[in-house]
Amino acid sequence: MYYPEPLSKLMDSFMKLPGIGEKTAARLAFYVVSMREEDVTHFARHLISAKRDLNYCKICGNLTAQEICSVCSDTSRDRSLILVVEHPKDVIAMEKIQEYHGFYHVLGGVLSPVEGTGPEDINVPSLLKRLQNEEVTEVILAMNANVEGEATATYLSRLIKPAGIKVTRLAHGLSVGSDIEYANEVTLMKAIEGRTEI
Amino acid sequence: MYLEQLHLKNFRNYTHASLQFSKHVNIFIGNNAHGKTNLLESIYFLALARSHRTNKDNELILFNKKNAYISGDLFLRGQKVALEIMLSDRGKQAKSNHLERKKLSDYIGTMNVIMFAPEDLELVKGSPAIRRNFIDRELGQMDKIYLYHVSQYQQILKLRNEYLKQLRQKKAHDTLYLDILTEQLAAEGAEVLARRLVFTHQLEKWAQPILADISRQKETLAINYQSSLPSSEALLENEEENTITMALNEAFLNAYRKIQAKEIEQGTTTIGPHRDDLSFFVNGQNVQNFGSQGQQRTTSLSVKLAEIELMKEQTGEYPILLLDDVLSELDDQRQTHLLYSIQKKVQTFLTTTSIEGVHTKLLQSPKLFEIENGQILSENYLEKGQIREKR
Repeated sequence: MYYPEPLSKLMDSFMKLPGIGEKTAARLAFYVVSMREEDVTHFARHLISAKRDLNYCKICGNLTAQEICSVCSDTSRDRSLILVVEHPKDVIAMEKIQEYHGFYHVLGGVLSPVEGTGPEDINVPSLLKRLQNEEVTEVILAMNANVEGEATATYLSRLIKPAGIKVTRLAHGLSVGSDIEYANEVTLMKAIEGRTEI
Repeated sequence: MYLEQLHLKNFRNYTHASLQFSKHVNIFIGNNAHGKTNLLESIYFLALARSHRTNKDNELILFNKKNAYISGDLFLRGQKVALEIMLSDRGKQAKSNHLERKKLSDYIGTMNVIMFAPEDLELVKGSPAIRRNFIDRELGQMDKIYLYHVSQYQQILKLRNEYLKQLRQKKAHDTLYLDILTEQLAAEGAEVLARRLVFTHQLEKWAQPILADISRQKETLAINYQSSLPSSEALLENEEENTITMALNEAFLNAYRKIQAKEIEQGTTTIGPHRDDLSFFVNGQNVQNFGSQGQQRTTSLSVKLAEIELMKEQTGEYPILLLDDVLSELDDQRQTHLLYSIQKKVQTFLTTTSIEGVHTKLLQSPKLFEIENGQILSENYLEKGQIREKR
């Protein structure tokens, strides 16, 4: 290595992040050297705090700095609805639209025999427990539209439906503002399958 | 459809090449290992974004270079479509009409090609996987929804096989999840199988008269789809077109239910389109086992020529035909038939080491490209009677 040791160690750390290769890591590391010391100290502190001060919400599995996340502790929300997502970042995407006022449940992954993830490895037991205690009337499944997501959604619906709770999932098909002429064949097929009455 | 021009940069042994093609027949002539097949491969790649020879895309990049670039102008129903593919160690980027296609499946299908190479004899002789790939490739060019179902099927199959393995090893116990994977596999399997059955019938319909013609009405051809799902052929005959998929789905579910214990024991999925096969019969005899070399050749040729017609029927345009060193493999009778049936309607690219082996008399002024060491030495239209002086 031609880099001085502290620099190459820093680069090594950057390269542990997704999407960062050697060249980007070198650029970032050199930039860190040129930063003000105060900013670097803050940066380091925030890195540690993001890891140390965050944990998963005891109720829904979302990331939070408290024991219970801000959504779960919000008493003004609609207690009859739970929206199930794969990851905490999906909650943020949903919250941005400010249209959904129910609660969430974050699985932290999907069922995947290839990855070795079974129902016990993601937050399925805690979801089922929540459904026993609370006055939930509808569960909305918002898994990603791929094979694993579909299988997980179907699996959950089989577990939940016998309890008499309505299970729905997000619509598939044309994205808003798109032209039919430019949509690909599979998207159109899904849109026709999922058509709704008006 | 026809390809008007082709540009290559760092593709295989071509540093730079630009070629203008004839609408009819183009002949690449040169000694072995100078890059004739590489040109066909590049045309194939431009159409399907993959090679017919290798799965490793970086083999296609000129040694010591970072990326390769292939582009061409296709004429489709009187309209020019610019196609480009950039290939690098990070993957490939495809553009049609100067717009990037993020999904390769959106790119594939604009340009249709049919490749006929000596190894296509394997279609009849080789392993079932070769015939399944053949169906997937040819049907996929015509029907993108089919490609989607095949890809879904393969993904679910992978999950299901893995889960069956875990059930066998008692690492997993939940059969509800297996049921769900089974249902999804049956649904996608039915979509795939229904389309394959129809495709096989159409292929047979077009191949029968061709084989009869080549054999001077002495031989008759039958193509059977051998499904691992019992009685699927009968379903095709008894069901209406719009209920066949549902009926197959039902049949798959029943079959999987019956063999569930056995599948867990074996840790793998034993029924489905991934286990199916095609068989070819000439005069009632299975050509794979009982056919002569000549019959196997005639069968492959008939199937390839049938594909051309089938593609025309499905897409409204004749595909582009790529013939890799096959004329030398065919006797006069078969060669005449081949050249006669492509005459004037199908743009054709063929490779040969010597023009003598080609019945150029049958061809309307073909364009000849002399190839040496990744260079185009000359390009000329051949007029009749001019052949001798050229070589």
